Amino acid sequence: MSALLRIARRLLAEEWWSLLRGTLLAVAVLAAGVALLGLSGWFITAAGVAGLAGAGLVFDVFRPSAGVRFLALGRTAARYGERMLTHDATLKSLARLRVSLLTALSRSPFPRLAALRAGEQLNRILRDVDTLDGLVLRLIIPFAAATLALTGALVALWLLVDPRLAAWVLAGFGTGSIAALVIVALRARRPARLAFSAQNALRLRTMDLIAGRGEWLVAGQTDLRKARVLSAEARLQDANTETDKAERLSGLVMSIAETVVSGGALLIGAWLVIEGVIDPAIAAIGFFATLALAEILGPIRRGLAELGPMTDAARRVTRMLDVPAPLPATPKTRTARADEALVSFDRVSFGYGGERPILDGFSLDLAPGEIVALTGASGAGKSTILMLAAGMLEATRGTIMLGGLPLGEWTDTELRHDVAFLPQRSTLLAGSIRDAIRMADPGIDDGAIWSLLSAVALDETIAARGGLDMRLGEAGSGLSGGESRRLALARTLARRPRLLLLDEPTEGLDRETAHKVLSGIHRQMLENGVILLASHRAAEREFAHRCHHVAAPASV
Amino acid sequence: MTPPASMTDDVTDPGTTQTSEDRARLRLNLMSAPEATRLRRAEWLTVIASLLWIGQAAAAAMVIDDLVSGQPDVTNALYGSSVFVLLGVLRAALSHRSGSITLAAAQAVISRERNRLLAREALRSPFSEGGRSSAEIAALTADKLAMTIPYLTRYRPAMARARIVPAAILLVALPFSWIAAFILLIAGPLIPVFMALVGMAAQDASERQMKEIGSMNGLLMERIRALTDLRLIDATDRTIRDFRRSAERLHRRTMKVLAVAFLSSTVLEFFSAIGVALMAVYVGFSLIGQINFGAWAKPLGVGEGVFLLLLAPDFFQPLRDLAAAWHDKAQAAAVAVELDAVETAPFEPMLGKGSAATLPAPPQLATRSLRWITPSGQTISYPDFDLAAGQSLAVVGPSGTGKSSLLALIAGLTPAETGAVFVGDGTLDDDTADGWRRHIALIPQSPHFAHESLRANLRRFAAEASDAGLRAALNAASASDILARLPRGLDTRLGETGHGVSGGEARRLMIARAFCSSAAIILADEPTADLDAETAHAVTEGLLALKMRGASLIVATHDLALAARMDRRIVLGDGT
Repeated sequence: MSALLRIARRLLAEEWWSLLRGTLLAVAVLAAGVALLGLSGWFITAAGVAGLAGAGLVFDVFRPSAGVRFLALGRTAARYGERMLTHDATLKSLARLRVSLLTALSRSPFPRLAALRAGEQLNRILRDVDTLDGLVLRLIIPFAAATLALTGALVALWLLVDPRLAAWVLAGFGTGSIAALVIVALRARRPARLAFSAQNALRLRTMDLIAGRGEWLVAGQTDLRKARVLSAEARLQDANTETDKAERLSGLVMSIAETVVSGGALLIGAWLVIEGVIDPAIAAIGFFATLALAEILGPIRRGLAELGPMTDAARRVTRMLDVPAPLPATPKTRTARADEALVSFDRVSFGYGGERPILDGFSLDLAPGEIVALTGASGAGKSTILMLAAGMLEATRGTIMLGGLPLGEWTDTELRHDVAFLPQRSTLLAGSIRDAIRMADPGIDDGAIWSLLSAVALDETIAARGGLDMRLGEAGSGLSGGESRRLALARTLARRPRLLLLDEPTEGLDRETAHKVLSGIHRQMLENGVILLASHRAAEREFAHRCHHVAAPASV
Repeated sequence: MTPPASMTDDVTDPGTTQTSEDRARLRLNLMSAPEATRLRRAEWLTVIASLLWIGQAAAAAMVIDDLVSGQPDVTNALYGSSVFVLLGVLRAALSHRSGSITLAAAQAVISRERNRLLAREALRSPFSEGGRSSAEIAALTADKLAMTIPYLTRYRPAMARARIVPAAILLVALPFSWIAAFILLIAGPLIPVFMALVGMAAQDASERQMKEIGSMNGLLMERIRALTDLRLIDATDRTIRDFRRSAERLHRRTMKVLAVAFLSSTVLEFFSAIGVALMAVYVGFSLIGQINFGAWAKPLGVGEGVFLLLLAPDFFQPLRDLAAAWHDKAQAAAVAVELDAVETAPFEPMLGKGSAATLPAPPQLATRSLRWITPSGQTISYPDFDLAAGQSLAVVGPSGTGKSSLLALIAGLTPAETGAVFVGDGTLDDDTADGWRRHIALIPQSPHFAHESLRANLRRFAAEASDAGLRAALNAASASDILARLPRGLDTRLGETGHGVSGGEARRLMIARAFCSSAAIILADEPTADLDAETAHAVTEGLLALKMRGASLIVATHDLALAARMDRRIVLGDGT
């Protein structure tokens, strides 16, 4: 619940003015609805009394009837304005929520980002954000508006009709609402949570069943796996039935409360008339206004049903948003002496806490201007070494020094300035080729972009397909696998780093192109820049000044 | 990604083009047909619940009439308000009951659809045309089919009420005053007319709006996926700024669209408010005597006037409910169209049912004049071969010559066009396939790890293997170093978490998986593709170790070093 409040504060923070106006208009809509029915009831009854008394000619029909028409039109106009204002503010806050999410995620540790690439987890986060989209529109505004309108209406009933009627309405609606809320809180939360997990299980198990259908069939387990999918489905249905039962029960309680309160208002009005306290037209106001008030509670009832799922979604989303802001860069001297190694690994180990580390006691010094190829079997830890040097992973033991300072003392921005890394898989964004390169260097001119493209042997391809304005589709689609990899390489080269880390840069290229690209990389490097690459190709080993064999950690 | 309902629930969206609309309607009807009786009963219950209001209105009108004209009497008032409350409680109870029936029926409907969809798609051959990705089928099964629930539980009951309740109220009002009935008649049917007019603009509007909210999520997703790269090139701040700007652009466009879309719901509000207002004014004026027409023989009394006024809002309520539920129908229709597309797509089944079967005769394999047609329509003829127990066979040839499909034919994962695979003492068909496959273990080219522990994944072809057995198998496949590095050992969930394994490691795990089983025939598809020499060597040795244990081995490969280690080879493509 506190998570939900924090999200609500975030959403309301900057749009409070339009939301407030929207809420006031919503109150106006509700109030006009109550007043319309109340006034109509009074008008008819009073007219009837006047008609019977033969006083029809002196009865002022025009002001009430004009009031009725004004309320009808005003209500419609207020409704339109309210919708525009609140949707405007909501859409803005939706964008804001997504921006905060992106900002927070961009600060999370790299392994977490890698995990987010798997579609399912990301989808789950986005589903949560979608759930929260309704928070303002379907929960906060209706709640605030209904509370205000109800309070106003109660005061009006108190003054216009009788305090006893106002007290009855307050007691009735209050008891009904609290009972409904308690029912939802006690009986719908747990099944709603169960439904959420069952739905995830259903999704994942279906994915497994379909993606591995050949294997399940060969293993004779198709039936079994299908039964597992269906058992998740049955759990989902049961949980949904439970939630629905609780929600319908709370709806039933509210409906009965509404009926009893309206019926009671009628009876109280009649009794007050018989006692001579009020006249029949005033009693009619009481009854009709109470009827209209019941309609105010409808949106709240619907909102309550979403309270549970929203609270859960808010909890998960706040967890995502709770990433501390990065420390500000502190200026420090970090120039390596000319005779010193630019990068040095000193007995560096890394592991995820398994029985055996991924990397154990790795040492290597790289002098300025050096090109070193890491060789070794797949799984020996070559990529891990590059990721450690790029600051994406933290060594479990040992130290990595960069320019004479331990890696841990570098801030992200400083590190990115001096170190560029091309991982094994990289992702491009939709946009032009120029946009893709400018991502890495916003100030770069077209000439420099072309020379980068020629360095990665992409210039002819791009020139033939519309030059730098060539548009890439979502995630860089439109280029072949090898082409987009080379574009990512050009983007990395545009950083002009002192330390360039490349993970199998010529993977998937034919021999001739591989040679072209490697000499292009060399041309683009800064003088005295260092290149460390993970390779399993002869061309890359020939390109390097020296090779360093990485052996997988020995058995324990 | 579906747009949040909050943005679209007040928007009229008459759906897509004519033909797909028809298909959607047919499919939705087909879907709900088995539950038609229950659904109809529930719809009648909500109609009756709504009609009870007429009785409540009459009771309340009598009380007020009594106050104005008769001798006011507490007993009468008590009697009238008791009837009002009793009918109200009955009304609430009927709605409650109707809701529980429709939900149960709707759940039965989608359960049936999920069952059907999965039963079919789980047996679709991996080579079949028209197959959707597992993510698409999962989204359809878990999320989209559930979107038809509101159609059944909200839209259809609302439709039933909209058909009957306004007409009934009109009929009730008519005997009191033809003007009152006329006011309702004019204001009521005008609603659909105006809504259709505005709806035409709103339809396009709502589609664009949905697309734009979808594209905001699309942009976000693309950027989150690329965050690692963006951070490595120090572009996250710029990206966030750009994202904020495009979100603002999107927002401005969306608001223009909504300005039109809200008009249609405003029209509805307008007519229902003006209908109530007109009724109040007319009744008021006739009670005073300033209007003397409209009623039949005798002038309108107070009770009758109050009764008519109370009926007016409920005349419009079903129409408003229907408008609010309009989006449910559009959503269900979209799901029905997609379901229809999946079901009418070309379908080629795998052989057998994939249920547990008893072990048949000892494994012997022969193929005779096998022919297979590729999804692109090309015919592939395979040379005949026999394979005795413990032999190994390399299937070689350039890519696209049908190496993988030969393995699939042997495993019964795709039916042969002509010719036959002889297994044990019969031909491979729907009846023998499940039994035959108990002899087989697969080493696929791109391993699929289910979302469960490594232990469960390794037990694929050996459900009862013990941990000790698994460790022995990993040793035999020289894959125990992989296990040693994983943070939670056999309990590690691969794929879903960041603790992935590389391509070569996954291949070695697949070989270990084959070791766990006691399968007599191992089918390996390109086991050394994309691996460096060292890893390829380790994989080859692992395969030979399997053969040493007595298994027959069929390896589809274009790795000549691997092919050379097999007893025999058949060459596809140019060789035949």
